[in-house]
Amino acid sequence: MVNKLIVSNVLHRPIRTAVSVLAVAIEVAMVILVVGLCHGLVNDSARRVEGVGADILVRPPGASFMLGLGEAPMPTKIGERLAELPRVLAVAPAIIHVNNAESVDLIYGIDMSSYNAVSGGFVYLSGGPFQSPYDVLVDDIYANAHHTKVGATMNLLNHDFKVAGIVEHGKGARRFIPLTTMQDLTASQDKATTFFVKCTDPAYAEQVTDAFKTLLPGYTIYPIKEYMALMTSNNIPGLNYFITVMIALAVGIGFLVIFLSMYTTITERTREIGILKSLGASKAYIILVILREATLLTAVGIIAGFIGALILRKVMGGVFPTLPVEITWDWRLYAACLALLGSILGSFYPALRAAQLDPVDALAYE
Amino acid sequence: MEPIISVKSLVKTYRLGKVDVPALRGVDLVVQEGEFVAVVGPSGCGKSTLLHILGGLTGPSEGQVCIDGNDFRLMTDADRTRFRRHKIGFVFQRFNLLPTLSARDNIAIAQHIQGNGFNPHRFEAITRMLGIDKKLNHRPFALSGGEQQRVAIARAVICEPKILLADEPTGNLDTENSQVVLDMLRELNRTFRQTILMITHNPEAAGIANRIIRMRDGRIISD
Ligand SMILES: Nc1ncnc2c1ncn2[C@@H]1O[C@H](COP(=O)(O)OP(=O)(O)O)[C@@H](O)[C@H]1O
Ligand SMILES: [Mg+2]
Repeated sequence: MVNKLIVSNVLHRPIRTAVSVLAVAIEVAMVILVVGLCHGLVNDSARRVEGVGADILVRPPGASFMLGLGEAPMPTKIGERLAELPRVLAVAPAIIHVNNAESVDLIYGIDMSSYNAVSGGFVYLSGGPFQSPYDVLVDDIYANAHHTKVGATMNLLNHDFKVAGIVEHGKGARRFIPLTTMQDLTASQDKATTFFVKCTDPAYAEQVTDAFKTLLPGYTIYPIKEYMALMTSNNIPGLNYFITVMIALAVGIGFLVIFLSMYTTITERTREIGILKSLGASKAYIILVILREATLLTAVGIIAGFIGALILRKVMGGVFPTLPVEITWDWRLYAACLALLGSILGSFYPALRAAQLDPVDALAYE
Repeated sequence: MEPIISVKSLVKTYRLGKVDVPALRGVDLVVQEGEFVAVVGPSGCGKSTLLHILGGLTGPSEGQVCIDGNDFRLMTDADRTRFRRHKIGFVFQRFNLLPTLSARDNIAIAQHIQGNGFNPHRFEAITRMLGIDKKLNHRPFALSGGEQQRVAIARAVICEPKILLADEPTGNLDTENSQVVLDMLRELNRTFRQTILMITHNPEAAGIANRIIRMRDGRIISD
């Protein structure tokens, strides 16, 4: 019966209903997409590091696990020394440079032969390896997003590079230049910021890590498994804060719109509330009617938000192929719960007001 | 027999800002079960206020009100709401139907609020008697004034209230529809021994009651 009352009320005010539903949908889609994008970026970059094929990462003392962040270069000699240790198959020195000219993007300076030894070699979709110092390799996703062809030029570190080849994505960065060129351009001759280490068998990763740690006390050395476990948005400074702020904003929008919507509704329906009271409806009954109406609007909004998020991800994937958005059921559920909580909080005060209306005044209300 | 309504020295004063507006200045009234009482008097003499207090919509300022064994002095707001839910049916001049619900749902929601669930037999008997059984799927705006008021009466009595309180139920109706509504009320009073208190301006309407109370300036001047 209350359902009938609620549904008929909701249908009776189609614009108000549509606006409320839209607000909740935006809220839900925003949470899903922001979280999905942050997780997607982190997971994607973690997967690409994993895709390099190294069993161990060796980084300078005090370096963050975020590749490319504030790292003092290490002499490449160290890498040569590590390569001589037992159970080490190959060591690939690299300088990881954060290029934030267009979007935040990592560029790896690599030594082709050692990098191939660790990673098993690039798969070339067109073109081939570096021919000259100012050659660059790009992955297929970058190439598609920027319509890059072999032979094209691009500016990196204030220098023009020629695209030598397009490789299959998944092995570290989206763009690679020769290590020596990177060393010249970043004034770090004979230095590297990361060593990708391949063991003769992945099972030796822990053991070899321990050996490295004794040899290089203070250095940041991770078996790849440990690195992958660290690479979650929870561990990335600022990211969690950003996600929290975005979620708070989204929930705030939903809260305010539902608050306003329900508040207007009770002012508009003062007489109807008076009628319910004259029939003996208790305060709890009135509160429940209002809360359930808000819940209905929210439920429809949540579904619309889910659909909206999927559509937006599709659109974003088309426009920005390098931005991976991961939509998980966990986060869908979380976004839905947040939206529901926001709506119930938002409609609570209006519901309380409605319950406290004086029935005589309410019935006299024009 | 214990009277169903017993009111002694009832005073109700509204406060408008800093001014006290006396609406009832000492009302004594006893009504027996099954009576049909008409309340008449000039506008502003406190008729509606009396009805609202009897129905528990608002509390008295002073005096004693005892209805069907419930002493209002001992009751909280929530108690009066529960009392109203089970013992009182209201009919208003302005029909006061829920505009978004059909006639059927307007009646059914009273049963829902009362909490005893839908009673199809009572529902059918009442709607047929009030002649609205063919109009149940209509929304209020698709019904004439007389039909709307009959739906309102059906809603008021569907839960078998002890007392039906009607505030100028024919005030918004033409003569013909007024007559129909008054006939219905008389019929309810006769067949179900429904106790009715009806406010009216209309001497003809008052004529169908078996007792007429006249009020003036917040007091009963004749009974
Ligand atoms: N909610 C209220 N607040 C303030 N004054 C009121 C209120 N309701 C009624 N009154 C005043 O109480 C007096 C009696 O009103 P009412 O009971 O409605 O009279 P009647 O129904 O006989 O016309 C009037 O002077 C009216 O202005
Ligand atoms: Mg009146």
